[in-house]
Amino acid sequence: MTHTIIVAQKVVHQLRRDKRFLALSIVAPLIIIFFLKLFFDTMADGFPVERYVVPIAGFLVYFFAFLLCAMVLVQERSQGTLERMFVSGFHKRSIISGYVIGYLGLATLQAAVALGEALLLFHLDYSAQTILSLFLPIWLLAIDSVMLGILVSTFARSEAQVFPFIPLFILPSIFLSGLLIDNDRLPVWADWLGHIFPVYYAFDIIKGIVLRGEMFVDHWSNIAILVGYALVLLFLASATLKDVE
Amino acid sequence: MPVIEIAGLRKRYGKIEALRGVDFSVEKGAIYGLVGPNGAGKSTLIKALVGSLCPNAGTIRVFNLDPIHDRWSLRKRIGYMPQSAALYEDLSARENIAFFGRAHHTLQLNKKLDEILDFTELRDRANDPVHTFSGGMKKRVSLACALIHDPEMLLLDEPTAAVDPHLKARSWDFFREMAGRGMTLFISTHLMDEALLCDSVAILRRGQMIAVDTPQHILQRGKTRVVVQQGTQKQTTQIASTPEALANHLHQYGLSPDVQAVALQQDSLESIILSLVNKQEEKL
Ligand SMILES: Nc1ncnc2c1ncn2[C@@H]1O[C@H](COP(=O)(O)OP(=O)(O)O)[C@@H](O)[C@H]1O
Ligand SMILES: [Mg+2]
Repeated sequence: MTHTIIVAQKVVHQLRRDKRFLALSIVAPLIIIFFLKLFFDTMADGFPVERYVVPIAGFLVYFFAFLLCAMVLVQERSQGTLERMFVSGFHKRSIISGYVIGYLGLATLQAAVALGEALLLFHLDYSAQTILSLFLPIWLLAIDSVMLGILVSTFARSEAQVFPFIPLFILPSIFLSGLLIDNDRLPVWADWLGHIFPVYYAFDIIKGIVLRGEMFVDHWSNIAILVGYALVLLFLASATLKDVE
Repeated sequence: MPVIEIAGLRKRYGKIEALRGVDFSVEKGAIYGLVGPNGAGKSTLIKALVGSLCPNAGTIRVFNLDPIHDRWSLRKRIGYMPQSAALYEDLSARENIAFFGRAHHTLQLNKKLDEILDFTELRDRANDPVHTFSGGMKKRVSLACALIHDPEMLLLDEPTAAVDPHLKARSWDFFREMAGRGMTLFISTHLMDEALLCDSVAILRRGQMIAVDTPQHILQRGKTRVVVQQGTQKQTTQIASTPEALANHLHQYGLSPDVQAVALQQDSLESIILSLVNKQEEKL
């Protein structure tokens, strides 16, 4: 248990020093949401901006949390500190749980920043309750994305090897998981494929909230699936992380 | 009782057989050199000893423990310095060392940190991030990380590779000092001349141990050529590389018969240049 805390402290410490962290979690989403605003401003009146803004903010969090987490962990392997941690007596269980706890903070921050930036730039004024309801699916999505990052990092030997996983896990979800097109307009097989990605369930919650005035609590099954994803990915990551070559 | 015992050790990576049946044992309390060219299997052997790599065949005992099955009890007793720096570049030297110290639940960590930063001469830069350090400084931080929990045995993978001669000499002073405190050091190097600084040398070539001996005995396997010039006549004789053989050879030239051994102890080029550099620095 203390080993978990030691790793978590180190992860937080390291993130605070890492410039990529600041760039990917605060500056990059801000710039992209700003460009999105420029783009949406050219649309005809009556374009349903709310339908897209928060899901896109959620997608950005999903993407950047994955990238950051996978890269930092892969670097841990390629620079040899992972081996050193094992030889210094860290159990792989404490390493993974330390990373999960450290990155939980990161996920919270990224979700809050992206949502805040979207609400501000688009002058969306939702009630506090709605904002909280929107925050929670993005936060869960960020956690899933962190777990995905941890899992991918157990396969990748170098930072460059993280990149092939982007077209594999991240990009298809833009078109298949209800971000740009609602899934009922897709062919059945594509609709099913879209259900593979955790973003589908987060988008479903978000769209329910912004379009139909539902609340987070109205989506128990989606929430359960997002939590289930986190647990399954965590389990897979502990199974694939090798402490002995 | 040897502290390291290896028998029939084999490791292959796909088609490459990195260790091809290594047998070896190490007694307590001294400096052991593992010498071999690049690709000989030194890193593989050290990784197997610290339990971060599972061999395909053979047995390893370190303190009579199996590096993989008994890893939790073994890891408290050994310190490992990998060949690459293996440090967190964004963290300071102190934070790096402290992280690995905490991993071992080191008592009085702050006091130990101060001691070790002094010992490795890193005190002035202790709070700077490691990415601002030179290669030699990173090596010292890495050594400090391996030392922080006072291990009984240190396994150092090429600690002096790509380090300038001055620091290299300092490093060997460190190693001697640690050996003096009763620690067993297992040091790999591809620099053959460093073998002379060890108490015992194992020579690894293409995954096989080709010799294990003291550096003096290994030197004696070589031949010494004595060139004597008398007038215009030059005579070259090959003799064994021992002080006795040299004395014996010189008797015919009138060396007093009661002289039993003659040894030449010449400074190496490296040590001469080092002392020149040091003199120059004193002047500045
Ligand atoms: N992870 C690995 N995968 C494949 N081959 C490896 C790996 N590590 C080492 N080797 C190969 O094993 C041999 C021994 O390597 P190594 O133990 O690193 O030698 P040394 O440390 O003496 O330079 C080399 O031929 C090297 O290419
Ligand atoms: Mg090596």
